[in-house]
Amino acid sequence: MGILEIHNLSKDYSGTVVLNDFSLDVVELTLCCLLGPNGAGKTTTMDMITGRQKPSSGRILLNDNDITGLDEHEIARRGIGRKFQVPAVFKDLTVRQNLEVAYSRQTSPFKNMFRFRDPGMERKLDEVATQVGLTQRLAIEAGTLSHGETQWLEIGMVLMQDPQILLMDEPAAGMTEQEIDKTSRMFNELKKTKTLVVVEHDMAFVREIADVVTVMHMGAHLATGSIDQIEANARVREVYLGSEEH
Amino acid sequence: MDSLFGNFDLSAFASALLLGISIGSIWLIAALGLTIIYGTAGVINMAHGEFLMLGAYSSYMLQAYFGVPFFLCIPASFVIVGLVGLIMERGLIRYLYNRPLDTLLATWGVSLVLMQGVRLIFGSDPKYIAVPQMFQESVEIGFFSISLFRIVVLLITALLVAMIWYLFYRTRFGMQVRAVTQNKEMAAAFGINSGRVYMMTFALGAGLAGVAGSLFGVLNIVLPTMGTSYVVQAFLVVVVGGGSLVGSVAAGAGTGELQSIFAYFTSDTFARFLLFVLIVILLRYKPQGLFAITKARR
Amino acid sequence: MFKSNPYHNKTAQWVVYVLFFGALAFVPVLSDDAFMMNQFATYGVFGMLALSISLCWGFGGILNLGQGIAFGLGAYGMAMTMQMQSQDPETSPMPPFMLNNSVEQLPLMWEPFWHTGWGIFIALAVPTLFCVIFGTIMFRARVSGPFFAIMSLAMLSAWYTIILDSQPFTNGVNGISPPAPLSIGGFEIDPYSGFIYWMVLFLLAAMTLIIKLITTSKFGLIVQAVRADSERVRFLGYSVSYYETVIYAVSGFIAAIAGCCWVVAVQYVSPAQLDVSFSISMVIWAGIGGRMSLLGSIIGAFMIQGGQSYLGDEFLATWLLILGGFFIFVVRFLPKGLAGLLESGLGLLVAKPAAERESAPGPVAGAKVQG
Repeated sequence: MGILEIHNLSKDYSGTVVLNDFSLDVVELTLCCLLGPNGAGKTTTMDMITGRQKPSSGRILLNDNDITGLDEHEIARRGIGRKFQVPAVFKDLTVRQNLEVAYSRQTSPFKNMFRFRDPGMERKLDEVATQVGLTQRLAIEAGTLSHGETQWLEIGMVLMQDPQILLMDEPAAGMTEQEIDKTSRMFNELKKTKTLVVVEHDMAFVREIADVVTVMHMGAHLATGSIDQIEANARVREVYLGSEEH
Repeated sequence: MDSLFGNFDLSAFASALLLGISIGSIWLIAALGLTIIYGTAGVINMAHGEFLMLGAYSSYMLQAYFGVPFFLCIPASFVIVGLVGLIMERGLIRYLYNRPLDTLLATWGVSLVLMQGVRLIFGSDPKYIAVPQMFQESVEIGFFSISLFRIVVLLITALLVAMIWYLFYRTRFGMQVRAVTQNKEMAAAFGINSGRVYMMTFALGAGLAGVAGSLFGVLNIVLPTMGTSYVVQAFLVVVVGGGSLVGSVAAGAGTGELQSIFAYFTSDTFARFLLFVLIVILLRYKPQGLFAITKARR
Repeated sequence: MFKSNPYHNKTAQWVVYVLFFGALAFVPVLSDDAFMMNQFATYGVFGMLALSISLCWGFGGILNLGQGIAFGLGAYGMAMTMQMQSQDPETSPMPPFMLNNSVEQLPLMWEPFWHTGWGIFIALAVPTLFCVIFGTIMFRARVSGPFFAIMSLAMLSAWYTIILDSQPFTNGVNGISPPAPLSIGGFEIDPYSGFIYWMVLFLLAAMTLIIKLITTSKFGLIVQAVRADSERVRFLGYSVSYYETVIYAVSGFIAAIAGCCWVVAVQYVSPAQLDVSFSISMVIWAGIGGRMSLLGSIIGAFMIQGGQSYLGDEFLATWLLILGGFFIFVVRFLPKGLAGLLESGLGLLVAKPAAERESAPGPVAGAKVQG
């Protein structure tokens, strides 16, 4: 069984169905790509997994524990980290401060109140900064980073959390060719120790990283398989030819 | 009946219920302008109480210095205070639309200036607005007695609600307002000038406060500080209602009625305290208020 | 010339803080006018309130228009403690105002105040507990920004009316005026002495330095992140409502201490301390002085309250008119207040191309206020 299991998830906003009986099994130490045209329900699914929205029905299990409907911070503490579609970093803080905030092993306000130095964090910060290639940029304000660097900073923040499962919503959006190459190498390295769920449109990138691909359409499950199987799938072709994406 | 409820006095309780409607109408009329301004522009106008006060003073001034009959003072106050609101929006608020906390503070600064300005001009002693003799009398409805003027207030409130509803849901201007409220950028793409819409709603909201103020000047005495006693209640009506017109009507009626019922069992001030506690608890479950305005999702 | 803005220099900030409070500590040496000592002590109390607002609003981003609740409850607690010090269980078990209100026996609510230690504990614990409960309800429901400001204002007016209305327990509008100064373990704190001034100043300085320290900790960093984007912080595993409640409660605790000191200094408390306009004045002090700066806010309180008391009552309306106008100006053009003005002023001293260097004013002329 998977480390993250989604069972029959549904969501509707006063009649409008955005997610319809969607199920997904994510196996440990694999990278699962979620594909689908706009409005397929990919970001909504991520919102449900991370507690940002509550499902109308269905269950989400993490390591066989029910996490459906928990608050965002509780789910994050259980080991799910998330990168947002529109990079969400703290623009007024420096790159270093962004990474420091994300190191959330200790979440109690009182214990953090007189915490000024943290050797464990320093080590982790050096490691992550190297990983995402921001060692030279630590002192500058996050708001001044380029788009690709901002993406990496947010990936770095997720890594600082040290989660079991990383949810990445369009991590390669707005990146140059070289940056995408670097990101796919990083992801292939990451999946040796972590489980990843990636929402992505760039098929070349998906081909580089995905172990298994799940396609969503109109809030429902359409197909699951390897990238080759998916590309040969007639129903998937139909869905994609019907929209402007690809 | 008596044996069932102990010393529960049914007729007094029924009067309390009717009084609640009157209290609700007063709170609602105080909150109308605030609702429109908050609902449309998202501005918490802390100077709203002083707009009420200005309405009372304009009516007093027109009556005392120019002998204008009271029922003409009401529309005149609408125009005068509406103009004040227009000037405030053009001169200050429009620079602060994307800073909600700062608008709150800046409008509070305005309220201080207005209150002290009026105090310097008219002094701190109370003024009175005279109404035709017949409105000072009370009418008996069965066992219940209410001053005729409170009924006038109730009727004017109902009339204003109907007019605002018509303006917002049946006219072109209203459609523009609703478009801007839901999605400013989208509305701009369709050629709606959101700046102008905000300006007009601000003036309208201020004008409504002017009307309410001239009525309060009759219900009570006219003082530079009179606004503060109404404004907190008006805010609560808006918060509970969620910023929409229907929400404010429901919240005004509901809180007015509850206040009256609580007051029947305890005292006026303790009823107020209970009401606040109840509202805090309500917000725990409905943080957006009863009838929140739906905005475009980010 | 500086390489970077000295306003942001951590060492310089600490030096300025220490110098500021050090200089204030010498005031009683220069003057021993007892009345002035008392008045300066009350300014210190206003400074504490400004500090609490700066923490909550400037640093935490939570605009609290109801700080008078914590201040007032603290003040009433201290006034009740001091009042009971003048009562005797045998001969006069009840405060005189209760007899006037024909209360038969001491209300249960007053019993713990026989004991000074318990009294002071309650004076501090009740307001803090109120903040914890109210804060938890509001922040859990994700009430924030202007909505929280309105709710805190409404809550304040609720407390105001209830205290005003509970004549038999609180002496209503007249308030409580304990007949004798506070005495702790036989030592009487003379409200007209250098001692009261030093006591208030010591508490103000200690609290300011602790808050300053906290803002530089990991906690401070997380709160900064919450202020910038509370939504994002949740996904990092922090409970935003917990952090907001802690900030709000610590700020309330400081206000409660201020309330206690206030009554020790003026021997008087009334519902006026919970008046809406007083709570909003606190926000004005911090706003004009610079809400992002602890010291700026404190100086804002000193300036405005000082100005107000020296102008006297006949100019009060004019003074408030000007204050309101100035406040509008600050909100519109100087969101960081006078401290922000200093920040940009010192920013001009940062090393620039050679041509401009000649005309720049001398260094550190005004490293007085900092962030």
